[in-house]
Amino acid sequence: MPSPTINPLREGIANRLSPEPCTLVIFGATGDLTHRKLIPALYNLAAEGALPPAVTIIGFARREKTSEQFRKELEEATRKFSRTPINEELWASFASSIHYHQSPFDDAEGYRTLAAEMEKADRERGTGGNRLYYLAVAPDQFPVILDHLRKSGLNTATPGSWARVIVEKPFGKDLASAQKLNGLVSEVFPERDTYRIDHYLGKETAQNIMVMRFANSIFESIWDNNHIAHVQITAAEPLGVEGRAGYYDTSGAMRDMVQNHLLQLLTLTAMEPPTSLSADAIRDEKVKVLRSLRPLRGDDVFNHVVRAQYSAGLINGQPVPGYREADGVPKDSVTETYVALQVNIDNWRWAGVPFFIRTAKRMPKGGTEIAITFKSVPRVLFNSTGEGLDENVLVIRIQPDEGVSLRMSAKMPGSSLRIEPVKMDFHYGTSFGKATPEAYERLLLDAMSGDATLFARRDEVEEAWTFVDGIEEAWKTRSDDLAFHSAGSWGPAAAADLAARHGVTWRRM
Amino acid sequence: MSFLPGIAVPIGGIERELGRLWEESGDSKTRASLINLAIYNEKEGSLQRNSAIIQGIAGEHAMRAILIEADPNAEGTSADAWITMHCYPRGSKGGAVCSEQISFRLAGEAARSLQSVVFSHLDSDLPLALWWQADFHAPIDGKLWRWVDRLLFDSRHWKKPSEQFDLIGKISGLSEARTILCDLNWARSLPVRQALAGIFDTPGTLPELSNLRSLAITHAPECRTTALLLVGWLADRLGWTLTDSSKNPLFQDPSGGTIAMTLTETEGSSISRMELASEKATFSLVREADSDLYVTTAKGESLAATTRMVRAPREETREILLAELARGGRHPLYTKAVKAVEALWS
Repeated sequence: MPSPTINPLREGIANRLSPEPCTLVIFGATGDLTHRKLIPALYNLAAEGALPPAVTIIGFARREKTSEQFRKELEEATRKFSRTPINEELWASFASSIHYHQSPFDDAEGYRTLAAEMEKADRERGTGGNRLYYLAVAPDQFPVILDHLRKSGLNTATPGSWARVIVEKPFGKDLASAQKLNGLVSEVFPERDTYRIDHYLGKETAQNIMVMRFANSIFESIWDNNHIAHVQITAAEPLGVEGRAGYYDTSGAMRDMVQNHLLQLLTLTAMEPPTSLSADAIRDEKVKVLRSLRPLRGDDVFNHVVRAQYSAGLINGQPVPGYREADGVPKDSVTETYVALQVNIDNWRWAGVPFFIRTAKRMPKGGTEIAITFKSVPRVLFNSTGEGLDENVLVIRIQPDEGVSLRMSAKMPGSSLRIEPVKMDFHYGTSFGKATPEAYERLLLDAMSGDATLFARRDEVEEAWTFVDGIEEAWKTRSDDLAFHSAGSWGPAAAADLAARHGVTWRRM
Repeated sequence: MSFLPGIAVPIGGIERELGRLWEESGDSKTRASLINLAIYNEKEGSLQRNSAIIQGIAGEHAMRAILIEADPNAEGTSADAWITMHCYPRGSKGGAVCSEQISFRLAGEAARSLQSVVFSHLDSDLPLALWWQADFHAPIDGKLWRWVDRLLFDSRHWKKPSEQFDLIGKISGLSEARTILCDLNWARSLPVRQALAGIFDTPGTLPELSNLRSLAITHAPECRTTALLLVGWLADRLGWTLTDSSKNPLFQDPSGGTIAMTLTETEGSSISRMELASEKATFSLVREADSDLYVTTAKGESLAATTRMVRAPREETREILLAELARGGRHPLYTKAVKAVEALWS
């Protein structure tokens, strides 16, 4: 006898939780994120039959337009940004589930009519009273939206259904604002229904870090300070601020990249094996890593962190202006577009292993990777003379050209003993020819399924801010440490010095 | 013999000749392999057909392909082998990723000795998927199946499904084998099952699953087994018991209700229509001829009529095989589905 609430036909079809029918309300529906990422992701999910048919999408935004106009705009955007080509009939079927709801965010009437629209979807489309609110707006809009959701009672679900909220980064601009924001969200939605999205966690290769570590016995047994010399996490991009100057100049590389994406990668790299694959078991271990980060404060910051800004230079042979010359950037801005850190994780596993993190704009090439450098073999036998052997390096490439490589030493053929580094390389694209789904597809599906594993928990976010705040506070006391490097170079000399103090050189990407 | 599947090589020199092929191919080619995919066929001309299949899928699923054209009943014994590579451009630097292919034409005793003649050429440490394109023969050779990690077959082509399912059961029951069964016919039905399951994701439609009274499937003439697997899946999932296996089969649901089943043959998609009806609602899944879409509909007294479209993958061997290779894992519901309609196979 089938259970009255679980669809027995879903079992065994996919090895993941099934998404539940719901109304997805996107606040900020006319914005870039909706057009470039959310709707193309939802279209692909719908086309593959992964979305329950009842799922209804309501775009909530201030601008005047009809649902028809809204759908037309989304269709154009999806044609441009979808990873698969649009099929006209499929689009028409999918688009029929999209509605536009025009209202200012601070108008109570707009929420009252939204409630009526969602109830209509419950009756007519079978969304079952389930609500998923996506805050695709700037953080300064969060309070007013959350407040109105609460006042209108839309934050509470009827028995047997749920109401969840997806919050886009940035989750605050420091610990205080993050706590305030989290406090605000938690007054309206319980933590279990709050999904803080960090799209890096939706990437296949980020998910593969845990698989590689905990599904292969050879790695985990050497994943500690007995075997690993240092770890480098790099996220480089050739782009400049590209029209985001207003936001970026108040944020900088530390808040924009390190606090979220790179510390997330650090936690996945350094965490202990979780007790289970449940969302909380995994996030518990990630939080422990953040709590074990040795705080950087005062002068320590200037010994462990290098910040810099790009000046005019060449990218791909073409001249590009410096950061301060970009539209919207103050001529005397001290916002860092490059940051390099050396951090320590004070726990048994990682004591004494320096972790290096760097991220920058206007690098010669783009890419995100985690490089684990193992300790050298003892200086005996093959390693006893000369310059020594290259260490083994395991590189996990997050993007692009996702994959894993391992550098090791091998004897060159010949009568003499010459040892050279060779690389074993696994490319996702080579072995698995098929296209991987977009991170947002996975994350939206997870939120509809109630799986929060790939979303940041409140304490993760706040612990990350606690660490970053120490650095930001020190930076406020002076700015003479801000270095400059030419666009298209790999960063300032001070960053090379930072690594050199630990006998390390930054990896060539 | 017009088609030669590569460079003829002595069987004892296959690995050496493969090495030479790589040396001659230059530095721009990268060897990649996720699995050993062996394809066994007993029909003449299969090497050419299967070579084309490998060429179609190796770009998306790197492998060492091993093609076997066997005549185990031949009087004399003979064994010939050929090697080739399937290369696909990757990246912007002019490089290519290549999969190796070894082809065997075996007769007599050589065809009955796959472990020694063929399986000694596996890429070690990688799993072996064996696609068996022939009928299974009794008695089951336990030694052979011990080698196989995934056994692919296609029940659509079986003339005597009852007998073949029985042999498949024996293979999967071998204590020394850990073989995962992959019926391409079951894989073919996955998009139908997904689309059908989607109809019952809503609170309005879900309760009707317990009240179904009829099930009708329209299938292509060669796809009766596909349709029966779908019936078996529904029966297993919904707790139905087959009570009448005559020409007009009947099932009984857990509350004692009777469900009438009808299968209709018509040219077109393997499954072109499914209709399920309760006393209060009807549910349908339709794939029009040459359409890339399934259209599902739910309507009833207390239901708002809903229509939905989802992508229907092409039913080409390449697509089915790629989907199956990408999926991995066991098919926990398959054997249950087969068993649920056991009496209808003959």
